[in-house]
Amino acid sequence: MHRSQPHTTVLALSALLLSASPAISETFSWAGTTDPQTMDPHAVNAAPVLSFLNNVYEGLVRRGPDMDIQPSLATSWEALPDGAGWRFTLRQGVTYHDGSEFNADDVIFSYERAISEPSDVKSWFSSITGVERVDDYTVDFLTSAPNPLFPGSIANFMILDSGWAEANAAEMPARDAENHATRNANGTGPFVLASRDPGIETRLTPFSGWWDTAEHNLTEAVFTPIGNPATGLAALLSGEIDFISPIPLQDVTQVEERDGFKVLAGLETRVIMLGFGHDHETLKYSDETTDANPFLDPRVRLAVAQAIDVETIDRVIMRGAAEPVSQLLPAGLSGYSEENAERPAFDPDAATALLAEAGYPDGFSFGLMCPNDRYINDEAVCRAVASMLARVGIEANVNAMPVRGYWDELRADNFDMYLLGWSPGTFDAEHPFRFLAHTPTERLGTWNFGGYSSARIDELMTPILQEIDPDARQGMMDEVAGILQDDVAYVPLYTEPLIWAMKDNVEVIQRPDNFFMLRWVTVN
Amino acid sequence: MVGFILKRLVQSVFVMLAVAFLAFSLFRFVGDPVSQMTGVETSLEDQARLREELGLNDPFALQFIRFAGDLVQGDFGYSFRTREPIGEMLLTRLPATLELGTVALLISLAVGIPAGIYTALRPRGLVSQSILIGTLIGVSIPTFVIGILLIFLFGVQLGWLPTYGRGDTVEIGWWRTSLLSVDGLRSLVLPALTLGLFQLTLTMRLVRAQMMEVMRTDHIRFAIARGVPWRRIRYRHALPNTMIPVVTIIGLQFGGVIAFSIVTESVFQWPGMGLLFLESIRFVDIPVMSVYLVVIAFFFVFINLLVDLIYLAIDPRLRVRESA
Repeated sequence: MHRSQPHTTVLALSALLLSASPAISETFSWAGTTDPQTMDPHAVNAAPVLSFLNNVYEGLVRRGPDMDIQPSLATSWEALPDGAGWRFTLRQGVTYHDGSEFNADDVIFSYERAISEPSDVKSWFSSITGVERVDDYTVDFLTSAPNPLFPGSIANFMILDSGWAEANAAEMPARDAENHATRNANGTGPFVLASRDPGIETRLTPFSGWWDTAEHNLTEAVFTPIGNPATGLAALLSGEIDFISPIPLQDVTQVEERDGFKVLAGLETRVIMLGFGHDHETLKYSDETTDANPFLDPRVRLAVAQAIDVETIDRVIMRGAAEPVSQLLPAGLSGYSEENAERPAFDPDAATALLAEAGYPDGFSFGLMCPNDRYINDEAVCRAVASMLARVGIEANVNAMPVRGYWDELRADNFDMYLLGWSPGTFDAEHPFRFLAHTPTERLGTWNFGGYSSARIDELMTPILQEIDPDARQGMMDEVAGILQDDVAYVPLYTEPLIWAMKDNVEVIQRPDNFFMLRWVTVN
Repeated sequence: MVGFILKRLVQSVFVMLAVAFLAFSLFRFVGDPVSQMTGVETSLEDQARLREELGLNDPFALQFIRFAGDLVQGDFGYSFRTREPIGEMLLTRLPATLELGTVALLISLAVGIPAGIYTALRPRGLVSQSILIGTLIGVSIPTFVIGILLIFLFGVQLGWLPTYGRGDTVEIGWWRTSLLSVDGLRSLVLPALTLGLFQLTLTMRLVRAQMMEVMRTDHIRFAIARGVPWRRIRYRHALPNTMIPVVTIIGLQFGGVIAFSIVTESVFQWPGMGLLFLESIRFVDIPVMSVYLVVIAFFFVFINLLVDLIYLAIDPRLRVRESA
């Protein structure tokens, strides 16, 4: 730290203030843009909450550094015969932060809490018909049909102590008013919630009675939400915080060039794509084409895919940190279709020809909806897409807006084309198929704003969820991916980068789901 | 006197109701709170049920009456996002904002008044000219740019002062203060300077203009003619006359300092009410936004009332008019 002595008497007061050196402490402090809005693991199914609480609470299974499923509160699990469900064998000798013991009752209690009406995580258990306690350390999750994915899909299902919840009247997630579990926590995880100041600061201390061996070397960890990116960057560069996620792409070089700091840039699992109004009879935001929707013609959609130069978007707007993608999920995740790994080549001439063939030799204009504060450089990407499309003769009127009103507009069908990012919550291709490709219903296809519909995909959805044989399952996945690609249902663009910045002496593990796990943090 | 206060109180209630109405009607267009409250996997029926439970499907008039009715009974409701009681949320954030505003105001007075007097007495001096130009640059640059410049200069490059937050705080009952610890005071310097700069310029220019005006009046000329010492003329005769309008304006400005600390609080991650308001906009937390605006309106109304009462006390002419 630089320090200099002010000379003038005017600065006498400031000098007094400045001469106090900051207290030396081994506290690790980190910052993110959003404060987890609750400490209740079942109240909100959102990344900031689940990521944070994974340090305090634990599930039956957990994800390792490479997203692999590992035993956690369950030591092993096996499928019951005839697809009747799954049997979990629980770990013995695990205690909660308040000292009480973990057993099967807590699993059943947490399950009932998670499927209760005010819970926001009910969808994880849509295939479960009931839970049975076999003995103190064995629990059966029963299903009506085989569900091979179930153990991998509940890594974020966190277990609460039934006694603690009942004693504090927190048997249900808070709905109207907060309850005890909104600001307090009692998990089995590696860190104890020491203090909670919503929106300001949350302190964690290591749990000495944790069942697993600690890999971290922290004595205390403090989380501060810093909404303004410039403020967050300054806090890191001034040394006040040790770690921040994310930082804006344009600041990466500045951090890297400074002594004592480093940037960890990996790929997130979020795919950025363009969607169409498949069920729109006409364009809504066209200057001249008001009696038809050219995007109903697959040739026009293919022309859009061919007209967009994703490599250039990646190089110029994403500074080379993104990766072009051909499907609704990034390569390498389970269910990714190797057969369909090829994206339509960038070919403006072919695009122009296709448009002419489809009856639009002079092009047309339409509205492109876009968020401006949701994804990395989202508005800039939309503008780039618009200029690339203009080169083949179709003119996009870009309408960029804050995300707080964006989903409303999309649900109200106010778009001709839109930008969407999707993270597969289960890290399996089934997830985007379920939410983006299935025909919209109350529970399925809920993010399929354009109303894309394929009878074959709908038909394959249930078998995909139930098929136990991996090859047969992958065969169906390949078929779905193939249909989506042939139909150009979406135009997948690229996988978003994940950019974390920290001091040189901090070692972390960057998981592609952007969860920040304190148990892997070491400060040298 | 009592009638005057009563009249003003009744007026204040109407002002606050009007603000509540405007706030409430505007915030319906900010976005959809439900999609901010739930995860991506929440089914549409659950979203619909939540919307129904929150009363978002009710007609606007009904929603407003419910909101205003609860407010009148002292029930501020709960945040959509965190489910915390809003009264408590604002109360925990209030000390941060009031301390920041007060210190900013004190800085602006401590520097602005002497600088105003100096530039009035030596209008053509080199120092005066540089002060005037300097402060002009100060007000021309937007607050957030000044804040970020200060952060990068004193926080990042020189490493003298903290760049964000309140530092160590001390709790006195429910009031959490950063005025009683060295770290807290250090944290206060940059945000208070940023917030106070505009006030400083305003105060300085106001004092300067008033002082130059007063120095031209007859009673000062007489005092000069009588051979009263300069020092006594300036500080005993001219200054008090200068200060009457200045005090009024500064009093009214304090409300503005509190209300417009939003930008400063955001740049410095200062955990006050303004930051809470910004976060609430981001997550479409309609109840928090509405209550915040009503509370800010209350501040303005209250300060106005105080200023009126002070007027009444110091200006006999007003009292005469009231009784007439």
